[in-house]
Amino acid sequence: MAEAARELEAAAGAALALDGVTSGYGAVSIVRDVSLKVAPGEIVALLGKNGMGKTTLLKTIMGLIPSRGGSVAIDGQAVAGMSPARLVALGVGYAPQEQPLFQDLSIRDNLRLALPSDRLLPGALDVVAGHFPFLKDRLAQKAGTLSGGEQKMLILARALMLRPRLLLIDEISEGLQPSVIDRIAAALAAVRGESGASMLIVEQNLDFALRVADRWAVLKLGEIDDEGPADPGARERVLSHLSV
Amino acid sequence: MLLILDVLTTAGILFVVSIGLLAVFGVLKIINFAHGAWLTIGAYCAVIAAELGLNPWAALPLAFVIGAALGGLAELFIIRPLYRRPLDAILATWGLGIVIGQLITLGFGRDVQMTPNLFSGTVEILGVDYSAYRLVALGAALVIGVVFAAAMEGTRLGLSARAVIMNETLARGLGIDTVRVRLVTFMAGAGLAALAGVLLTPLTSVDPNMGVGWLIGAFMLVMVADASLVALAVACLVFGAAQVLISTFVSPILGSIAIAVLAALVLRVSPKGFSRA
Repeated sequence: MAEAARELEAAAGAALALDGVTSGYGAVSIVRDVSLKVAPGEIVALLGKNGMGKTTLLKTIMGLIPSRGGSVAIDGQAVAGMSPARLVALGVGYAPQEQPLFQDLSIRDNLRLALPSDRLLPGALDVVAGHFPFLKDRLAQKAGTLSGGEQKMLILARALMLRPRLLLIDEISEGLQPSVIDRIAAALAAVRGESGASMLIVEQNLDFALRVADRWAVLKLGEIDDEGPADPGARERVLSHLSV
Repeated sequence: MLLILDVLTTAGILFVVSIGLLAVFGVLKIINFAHGAWLTIGAYCAVIAAELGLNPWAALPLAFVIGAALGGLAELFIIRPLYRRPLDAILATWGLGIVIGQLITLGFGRDVQMTPNLFSGTVEILGVDYSAYRLVALGAALVIGVVFAAAMEGTRLGLSARAVIMNETLARGLGIDTVRVRLVTFMAGAGLAALAGVLLTPLTSVDPNMGVGWLIGAFMLVMVADASLVALAVACLVFGAAQVLISTFVSPILGSIAIAVLAALVLRVSPKGFSRA
């Protein structure tokens, strides 16, 4: 009890607090003893090479993979073991990287699926149209027929539908041309400006990550290797961890 | 002409029998081997309705409600605890089917039960006298298919079910209550199976093991359809035609195994069955 109380105390004041989180698949632990905090309104970039556990960590926070140890707290509330549905209700938005869209469903249906009720649809569509107006003009188009950049914007828009307080975003800039990356960076900045949302963004694109984030952390073989502020010296420091 | 009507009505009956199994397979990704037992439950609902002196047609809603309610209990207490062990869940449905067959035997005995005709006589259609009831069954198949498709396309729950069929992990990540979707789908599948059981009563004898033979056919059709309603309709037409033609021109015994053999051949050539066609 005392330990749980201590963990919750440590998590108080943070939008997201990970303390010693361990998780993985089968007999293998992919993420090991990760502790990380995201302050309210803060954007933290989680960096690292492929296969280092970044996506697994996001899935663990989202309740898609059970954690094997440690604690996850959102706004000071312990959430380990909660279903993704409850986390969404608590104000978490998730933009996944792997198979992130229902390709055969329309834009409208992809967006609808992020809402608990269709009554919320008109208001939510206004929110996303503010960031990506093309979505509202092409609601009947199948998601699979959108360009790569448009698909990424749809994934992000869907995560924004319920005006989340905490956004978990997985490699949203992957494979995108600079103009689309600019639009996404602008949208993330606008969301934070409007709602004060906190974000944990998994990225391989270092320039994009350091542009939008306040802080960064490098994940290496499932453990936090280093972390620091996104200041002018950050790029070199991060690269020193990625190059080895 | 007679042959065409036989093919169409056979396809309709196969569709009615298989659609509940398809729904459960699509959403829960398991084959419900107790499906045959739910057909039997539905048929015995017709027996009970007759004993209570109800209108024979009242057995249809009665069977749907009882089938769905029992399906809900089965999902809650047998399928759900085995969510992460799908092979065990399939075995459990097999066992459940045996238990239900025995319970029905305990309650009603092994004897064949008589049920009142839902619709008797023949009608003249396109120059031939044809069983009125088989035409009614074909109409019922069309109505059930259209209502089912409308529910999947036009309702919020149908959208959630389609999302779970397409990509369950993504559906969960978006906050869809997949546990509830699975429960409601299993209840609907069980209810549809019981409904099909009532519709079968004028065509087949009602006894505790009546569902087993139909289950095999439905299983093969669903394997070929791979969770697609349109593919299921096509499979019912193609295999229904094969069954009728082989029964008529070769031998009724061979006709009765036509679906299983042909479906196995189709799956050997194209593992995804008809769903990509």
